[in-house]
Amino acid sequence: MTIWRLEVLRLVRTRRLVAIIGIYLFFGLTGPLTARYLGAILGRFATEGVRVDFPPPVPADGIAQFAGNASQIGLLVVVLVASSALAFDARREMAVFLRTRVTGVRAIVIPAYVVNSGAAIAGLVLGSLAAWYETVVLLGGLPVGSMLLGVALGALFLAFVVALVGFVAALVRGVLATAGIAIVTVLILAVIANIPHLGRWLPTSLVGALPSRVRDGAPVDYLPATVVTVVLTVATMAGAVRFGGRREL
Amino acid sequence: MIVETAGLGKRYGAHVALHGVDLAVPRGSVYGLVGPNGAGKTTLLGILAGLRRPTSGTVRLDLPRTKLALLPDTPQFDPWLTGREVVALAAHLVAPGMPPGRVADVLRDAGLAVAADRTVGGYSRGMLQRLGLAATVVSDPELLLLDEPASALDPAGRREVLDLIGHLRGRATVILSSHILSDVQEVCDTVGILREGELRYQGPLDRLLVGRAVPAYRIHLRPPLEPVAQALRTREWVTDVATGDGWLRVGVRSLAQAESGLPAALAACGARVVSLAPEAVDLEDVFLELTS
Repeated sequence: MTIWRLEVLRLVRTRRLVAIIGIYLFFGLTGPLTARYLGAILGRFATEGVRVDFPPPVPADGIAQFAGNASQIGLLVVVLVASSALAFDARREMAVFLRTRVTGVRAIVIPAYVVNSGAAIAGLVLGSLAAWYETVVLLGGLPVGSMLLGVALGALFLAFVVALVGFVAALVRGVLATAGIAIVTVLILAVIANIPHLGRWLPTSLVGALPSRVRDGAPVDYLPATVVTVVLTVATMAGAVRFGGRREL
Repeated sequence: MIVETAGLGKRYGAHVALHGVDLAVPRGSVYGLVGPNGAGKTTLLGILAGLRRPTSGTVRLDLPRTKLALLPDTPQFDPWLTGREVVALAAHLVAPGMPPGRVADVLRDAGLAVAADRTVGGYSRGMLQRLGLAATVVSDPELLLLDEPASALDPAGRREVLDLIGHLRGRATVILSSHILSDVQEVCDTVGILREGELRYQGPLDRLLVGRAVPAYRIHLRPPLEPVAQALRTREWVTDVATGDGWLRVGVRSLAQAESGLPAALAACGARVVSLAPEAVDLEDVFLELTS
């Protein structure tokens, strides 16, 4: 029994892994479906004199539907699940059990981070595969390169978000406080991203990479955001270890 | 000494939790850290365990950190783990090379062999306490810090935990914090009395009790009591006689004089003796004296 196994068991036995995978799969399966039939569904509600016309759906619409839902509800679930694992000081007695048996808080933080970010990325990948498959069946083919790049950048964003959760958990004790502050921080980053020329440097720009790449294949340069996200991920994890290690119980 | 602190202090803002504590714990002892709620016991144990930093003073531990284990007052574990997994995790983290049967042995000693594969979410408070103790001893620590290990248990659970602690004697040094003085008197050989963050007394328990004992006998008698009391007051070795409901408390210059003279004096005045015993001073008396 290791801390790595402890973190895997935490995800499996508490059904949190099912929640993450399930939410991404759900949106992966329903996104393209919604895109394909939304026009027909809303058309049935048209009344006399009012007619709603939708352009014929294209493959990018299926992925856009999936990405839109996954980046909101999916992200919320990821933050909550990660907070429950990384805010391990929330209950002192449980924290004492682990902290008095390891030489540094790094031995607890790193497995929790890797396992939870791995679960989040697995959810995103499975959801994306489901959305991809269904989009191909219902709406048509998608550019492979753009899909892979978009999923990879989305995965990097999730890795950053889980690291951010770990950092916040080292500053506050409670699970809900950790989740709340992490979500607010992501929202603030998303708002700041609207400032011209600044958005391309922020991690939140990676969220839109998947639908954007698939839709128009525009040669948007994600390198600045990728570099900043990698740096911030490493920095927040280092902060989580540093501040977590200084906390008294 | 396996643990020594010098001038140890801890402040939480304006509140002084510990002040100038010079703790000295002999290796192999069962050290009882007693004091009222808020005396600083948990803070002191937290500092020794490395969970809190002292504001002033020093801590010297004559052992590696990995040979120290702390059991909090209400041990809690992830409720979806089994008892066996909790102890196995504790063993792996501290002593990864443990023989495979060690976990099962410790669970059996803690009386949890049957419940070992049940998730701890269904454990009673006493079972959690015993599981905590099992997870603490599985790595054979040299120093155990037990914070109020029996404070919230029913009598049967308390008995089990005290027996487990008793079995540790000779195998490890134990620092046991408690405000249940009878528990401390039963299992500890050395005590430290904390009050408002200050160590009021520290030393062997028997020296603490004997040093403060006023030699006296308590005699239960059939009435009438007063003639017996008057007869005893005339004896040169009797310092005072107090009467109660069916009993006399006879203060004496020495227990030796009373042992030889008291039976004869009682017989001489025709006392109908029900019982006769030297009066023991217990830790509670001393504790109240030192902390009041």
